[in-house]
Amino acid sequence: MPTLRTLPEALAEAARAGDGYYFLADGHETFRSYADVRGAACRFARALVESGLRRGDLVGLVLNDAEAFLTALMGASMAGVVPASMHPPAAVGDLTRFVDLTAGILRSSAARAVVTERALLPHFDAVRAACPALSLVLAREDLDAPASDPPSHPSLDDIALVQFTSGSTSAPKGVVLTHRNLAANIEAINGPAGLGLAQGDVGVSWLPLNHDMGLVGMALTPVYASLTGVLMPPAMFVKRPVEWLRAITRFRGTISFAPHFAYDLCLRRVKDRDLEGLDLSRWRAAGCGAEPIYPPTFAAFAARFAAVGFRDTSFFPCYGLAEHVLAATLPVRDRLPRIDTAAVLAPSGSSTEDRAPLPRAAREVAGIPLVGCGRALPGHEVRIVDEADRPLPDRCVGEIALKGPSVMMGYYNRDTLTAETIRDGWLHTGDLGYLSDGELFVSGRAKDVIIVNGRKHHPQDLEWAVGDLAGVRRGRVAAFGIDEPGRPDRVVVVVEPSGTVRADDLVAGIRRRVGDVFGLYVDEVAIVPSGTVGRTTSGKVQRSATKARYVQGDFSAATVEG
Amino acid sequence: MSQPAAVPIEAGVVDVLRNVSRRPIDPAPEHDLVADLGFDSLQVLEVIAELEDRFDISIPLNDVPSTRTVAQIVAQVTRLAAEQSTSPSKS
Repeated sequence: MPTLRTLPEALAEAARAGDGYYFLADGHETFRSYADVRGAACRFARALVESGLRRGDLVGLVLNDAEAFLTALMGASMAGVVPASMHPPAAVGDLTRFVDLTAGILRSSAARAVVTERALLPHFDAVRAACPALSLVLAREDLDAPASDPPSHPSLDDIALVQFTSGSTSAPKGVVLTHRNLAANIEAINGPAGLGLAQGDVGVSWLPLNHDMGLVGMALTPVYASLTGVLMPPAMFVKRPVEWLRAITRFRGTISFAPHFAYDLCLRRVKDRDLEGLDLSRWRAAGCGAEPIYPPTFAAFAARFAAVGFRDTSFFPCYGLAEHVLAATLPVRDRLPRIDTAAVLAPSGSSTEDRAPLPRAAREVAGIPLVGCGRALPGHEVRIVDEADRPLPDRCVGEIALKGPSVMMGYYNRDTLTAETIRDGWLHTGDLGYLSDGELFVSGRAKDVIIVNGRKHHPQDLEWAVGDLAGVRRGRVAAFGIDEPGRPDRVVVVVEPSGTVRADDLVAGIRRRVGDVFGLYVDEVAIVPSGTVGRTTSGKVQRSATKARYVQGDFSAATVEG
Repeated sequence: MSQPAAVPIEAGVVDVLRNVSRRPIDPAPEHDLVADLGFDSLQVLEVIAELEDRFDISIPLNDVPSTRTVAQIVAQVTRLAAEQSTSPSKS
């Protein structure tokens, strides 16, 4: 293993080596050497210190622009504060609602400051009132002190980043990562058992930087390897998917990761006439993760883009999660992905039918080909356990558990949740899978998560977002996803009505709200009688029970709008 | 010129919306893309790209959040088509 470095140390070394980032935008590109990036991060750090922030203060970063965000993230470490990456407003969105969600995170994490864009400042005036600990709302554009050395030097065990994965009002989940976590994961990804990065490798990415794959996988890995990173805004890719492939062509990209849906979007939206001029022959690691991988999409992508040099051995399917920095397993390079359709066995000697993960997993596995996601990273362990945390043998489905230096420090200010998630040093992912000759196959996802277009949505966030709409009975909303192989989840909202709002208006209101806040289409709204959406004695929505009834068809067609 | 051009632009916008949507839709001027027509954020951007191709215009991404209804899109395309057809950078 290479010596682990903090982010500022890695940046300083990259600055000496001379490479940098290309930031692409509609119609132009900007090159920033890592020396430039380090200079901007140092100036930001100095300005933060001068604004009165103290060591250990939590600072929310709500920034769209990649350069502004990355220099702020790196500078925060140099200032000794704790940066928390938070979602900027969606391209299509209701700013008021966005500010509500953001305020929820800032308040519950007792953030001392938030750094955002000048244009968004007016929206934060209202936030201050709701967040007693929030003493500073700062514009990134104003935080630029004269040239400076880093005000402080973090150690490997200082916090590098808090990544908020859920914007739920009362209980946001902020994944706390130390510099040691970051370095351990990134060096494993970059190293010989992972990507095997070498001189000449170029990363190209359109992924959002508030997501682990975009930030750690595509924006930070090049810094730790002193290689070129090319970053474009997500909207540029989504608007014209061919722009991703053009950037890979133009910059001779060798490494590019994206969720499954991006490959699917290219298949559907890259036109034949766009193929001219593309050259994907240098793309040696076409990474895929973050959502279930559907083998037929890979085959179709490889067939379509073979004419412009794409090789099917470039697919690089991985498994990981933010609680483990990014990657948990990586496949062997330059090899066709392993596909497994064989039946999965229950543990031998198991007589209990109701062992929680097994029946569900077996159903999910049946008939669906699974893609091998590789082996544990060097210096890390992966195992499959039953519900009593007992390790299971090969080819038995259970919960995926991970151990090693990439396991997060915990959830920010959530000691109970942290203790439930990390037990005896093992991170319990909530995802289901099995091992076969050391290779991991993921067969089911964390309970309750809705995955659409590579983005994970937490049902409680959707429930909260629609909870105060006129016509919705307070606390009687259940949201969930119905998974379909190779397709985005179908999003379903089950709601008990209150008052006299017309059903049509209620459905439209729910769709509008979820569209505004999450950019997500609600496929079905089921309006159900009072008492249908049950609650536990502790007041939690009985989501699984409601989903089970929906799947069984208990909610009559007349009440389902779709 | 701008008045007579409005009708083909509206028909073109409706055509684009129909092509991009996953389901049969019948767009009317007052319809909201998200709430009424069921577009998600990905599809809104796909609509933008298709409109650019069809009308040979460039729609800044900054303009997207304020464009919500079919009528607003028609007005924006009409404005951009008029502006950009007179600008020297577009042929």
